[in-house]
Formats: sequence, structure tokens, C-alpha cells
Amino acid sequence: MLSIMPKVEEKLEKRYTGGLSRRARITRNLTLIIPATILALMVIVAIFANLSWLGLPNIGLAPHDPTTGVITDRFLPPSFMEGGKSEYLLGTDRLGRDVLSRVIYGTRVSLSISLLVIFITAFIGTVLGIISGYLGGRIDGFLMRATDMALSFPGILLALLLAVSLGPSYWTVVLALSILGWAPYTRMVRGEALKLSEADFVAQARIIGTPPIRIMVRHIFPNVINSLVIMMTLSVGMIILMESTLSYLGVGITAPTASWGNMVADGRSYLDTAWWIAAFPGIAIGLVVMSGNFLGDWLRDRLDPRLRQV
Amino acid sequence: MTRFIILRLLFAFVALLGIVVIVFFLVRASGDPMSLLANPNMSEEQYEHIKERLGLDKSWGEQLVIYMGDLAQGDLGESLLREKPVIDIIKQALPNTLKLIIPSFAIAMLMSLILGVLAATYRDSFWDTGVKFLAVLGQALPGFWVAIMAVLIFSVNLRWLPVAGMATPAHYVLPVATMVFFILPGMMRLVRSSMLDVLDSEYIKMARIKGLPERLVIWKHALRNALITPLTVAGMIFAMLVTGAVITEQVFNWPGLGRMIVTSTFERDFPVVQAITIITAVFVLGINLLVDISYAYIDPQIRYQKM
Repeated sequence: MLSIMPKVEEKLEKRYTGGLSRRARITRNLTLIIPATILALMVIVAIFANLSWLGLPNIGLAPHDPTTGVITDRFLPPSFMEGGKSEYLLGTDRLGRDVLSRVIYGTRVSLSISLLVIFITAFIGTVLGIISGYLGGRIDGFLMRATDMALSFPGILLALLLAVSLGPSYWTVVLALSILGWAPYTRMVRGEALKLSEADFVAQARIIGTPPIRIMVRHIFPNVINSLVIMMTLSVGMIILMESTLSYLGVGITAPTASWGNMVADGRSYLDTAWWIAAFPGIAIGLVVMSGNFLGDWLRDRLDPRLRQV
Repeated sequence: MTRFIILRLLFAFVALLGIVVIVFFLVRASGDPMSLLANPNMSEEQYEHIKERLGLDKSWGEQLVIYMGDLAQGDLGESLLREKPVIDIIKQALPNTLKLIIPSFAIAMLMSLILGVLAATYRDSFWDTGVKFLAVLGQALPGFWVAIMAVLIFSVNLRWLPVAGMATPAHYVLPVATMVFFILPGMMRLVRSSMLDVLDSEYIKMARIKGLPERLVIWKHALRNALITPLTVAGMIFAMLVTGAVITEQVFNWPGLGRMIVTSTFERDFPVVQAITIITAVFVLGINLLVDISYAYIDPQIRYQKM
């Protein structure tokens, strides 16, 4: 990186050490610490919602079972409100299920889907992007046209189409989000690879007769990792948003499994009497997505300011 | 240039064929398409009748040929539940969707221009911070949730606005606001960043040195050039509008295409979902084609590329 952009590095050095005021530095650190903490907490909550994967289904962070409710405890408001019970911190839904526990279990769905999709799309996108950027020519032209299409095709329609043919499920969501999700990665990696293919060290590798595949894997790939990590972080939020939207529409994760999207859909009919059913899962989505976006921005500022779209 | 346009048209056509074939096989991906098309209450006779009418007794190759022939003639098939041609259903729902999308798009466009330019011109000011804050919120909160919370506040608690439907102008307020909230952040950021790029350029400095009033520099010279960038992402804006319409129509029971496709998904009315998807694909291809061609006019270098 240094060899390519010495000037930018120099500027950065200045900007990040001497250039910033004390207050600005504190703000910058906070934009790391707060979102990182929230995301870490979410991951912990997702893993330890219960310990059934250790053979201990009765121990865990979730106070209640997310799918079985107590019928006599239906529509109880959050415990801090009048009429709430202390054992249901965020109230209960139409079947007497604990909203907090369902939000906690929803974390599992959202985080696992976004991790899966990110790894699938980043992998495909990187392979195609490096090929496109380094080899160029007709392959590049074709891949770039395809990328444009994928970027402008509304993924939601594809997801609906898949839901109707394969039925709504966890894997349908993963598939629907992956089929178009590679495109932004391809475009970004292709741009990087194109620049790198003109760098001196790549030219030298070519001159000594290194085969293209080796150049792509050993010389280009290591140099796109930074941008890749930034982009992967930035997509956490986007994928969680899309997953929750699909679940909200009823074509993603369906009842009785708890997901943030289908909880909001559930609460839609009881807005006038039990707003908490729809409100809390939405706040959870907002928190995670915002944390992911802030963390991605922070990483981008730190690792690769060239990518900054201001 | 002609060669360029022909090549692009050819590509668009091949891409469309590809999409149609993929959609065709998706219907059959789950195994027996009849399991999607028939409902369990049908009699044996009805079942066989549908199977024959849809040509499902023929081989896949024959089916694909027939299907493509129908499409070429503009026949999008027939809805399974409403027993009407899909095209009629679309004709009914499309105006409602346009009534939602057009005002939303106009408002969002206007707001993003004003806010984006203000944020770029007065960088790091109150305006800029406000725009960034709005963008952060808009990109983090799910559209459907914001819409529902708006219903909770303005319809359920304050009783100012109706919950759903499209009878009076008041019915338009929340759906349009939701759409605007959905598309504004992205467009605003785009205008802001392309404005920042332009403001940094030599000809703007020149205009300033020349002593032109700042108002003219910003709103005439800079904005005109900054507007080219959003053109490149016309496709993405289209995708955003479609997604926004699907969500908004669902939340507010708006009888447009978006709700139609979601309802049809539940009813497993495959021809409707399939037709709307293919029509959208045609639009996507068309928009990309137009963007490419208009770009080739602006930048001659593009014309001589291989593809």
C-alpha cells in the first residue's frame, strides 16, 4: 500500500496524529467503541441465548422460551409500564410470549444470515472482481455489464420469486441475498485490481514469467483485503435490513421462529393496544445496523481513506 | 456509435433471454410445478385440465419454446386465482403504484438537491451535520418499521391521518413520507458527494475568480455538473423505488403492483410474480441501456471499448 500511495499515507499520518484536535480524537474513538461494544454484545447474546448447543437447553440469557407463550399473560406491557409484570421486561405478545426473549433469539437469525451471506458474496465478488480487473478485455466487459444489471435489479422481487418457487425459509433468504449481493464486491475489487495490475510489483512479477493465476492470488488478492474487510463490515447492516424486510413481508423467516422482521409484522395488527410488540424489534434492527455502518466507516477512515465517498 | 449501440442492444437482448430462462427453470426448481400451481382442493379433472392447459404434459424443451413464443407476443400468462390474464391485473394495479412513486420521487429529488447542495456548500456546518444525521438514521432504520411507527404516532395516537387506503389526499401523506424517507438518504448523499467533487474542480475556482456571485456558481455551474453523477446510478435509484413501493404498499394496504406481488407470493400465484419480475427485468435492462448510451455520448472513450 505504501509504495502505491505514499502521499495519501503521509497526509493520513498528519491527519490522524497531529492534525486532529483532542475533541475530534475522542469523537473518533467513540465511533469505534460504542458500535463495537453493541455488536460484541449482540454476538454474545446470540451465542448464549441458550446453551442447547452444549446440551444445556435450560440455561441461557433469554429469560423465557421464545416460541411457547403463557396464554394468561397475553399482551402484557413492558415491566416499566403500568400493568407490566417484572418477569417480562419488554412485555408479551398476542400468544403471551416474552418479547425480550424473542428479540434475543432474533439476534441469532439476523447475525447468522448476515455472516453467511457476507462470506458467500464476498468470496464470489472477489474472485470475479480480480478476474475482471486483472484480465480485462471481453471478460471484463461482460462481467461489468452483468454487475450493472445485478446492482439495479430490485433484490426484493428476486426474493419473492424464490419464496414462491422454493417456499419461504432460512436458506431461501440466504440464496436470495447472495444471488445479487456479489455485485458491489465485484465492482469494488475490480477497480482495485485494475489499479494494482499497473503497479510496478505486478509488472515485475509478469516479467519474470509468473503465471496469471499466481499473480492474481499472491500479488493482487493480498492488496485488496483491506478494502474487502471494510466492505464486508459495511454490508452487515444492509443484509440485516434486507433479511428483516423479507421476514416482515412473510417470505423470509416464518413463524413460530422469532426474527425481528416477522415480530414487527406480528405487532402491526396490535398497534393500538400493544405497540411494544412492533417497537422493540425495530429498535434492535436500528441499533445493529447503525453499529455496523459506524464500524465500517471507522475502518474505512483508518484503513483506506481512498474509498471514502465523503 | 452505431456499432456501440448495436452491441449494447445485443447484450441487453441476450441478458433478457438469460433472465427468462432462469425464471422458467425457477418455477420448475422445486420439482413438480403443479404442486405450485394447483391447490389441494382441486378435483382430479381440474388438475388434469390445468396441467394440459399450461402445457405441463409436454417435455421441458417444448415448454420453453412455447413459453418464449408467448412472451414474444406479449402474453404473460394467466393468473391462477383470479382467472384473468396477468396483463389485465397489472394494468389495474400500475396506476396506483405510479400515484405513489411519482410524487415521492419528485419530493425526494427536490429535497435531496436542496439538502445535498446545502450540505456540500456549507461543509461541517449545521446543515451538513443535519444531513449526515438524517442519512445515518435513514440507512439504519428499516423502512417498514418507520412506517409502522408513523402509523402508531399519527394515526393511532394523534388520529390525524388515516391508517390505510388511498381515498383522500390525507391518505397519501404517510405512504409518500415513508417512500421519501426510504429513498432520500441515498440520493442526498449522492448529491452531496458529487457536489463536493465538482466544487473542488478548476472551473468552479475559475468561476469564482471571475467574480461570479456565489449563488450563481453553486446553483448554476456546480449543480449542473454535479447532476451527471446521479445519472450513472439511475438503475440503482430504480431498484430503490421498486423496493420502497413493495414495502410501503404492504404497510399501507395500497392496491398497487408492490402489494399485488406480495399477495401473489402468499397465494402462490406464480404467473403474476413471474410476470412482474420479467417486466422489471425489462425496465432494468432498458435503464442500463439508456444510461450506457447517454454516457457514450458524453464520453467518447467509452464508445471504443470492446463491449
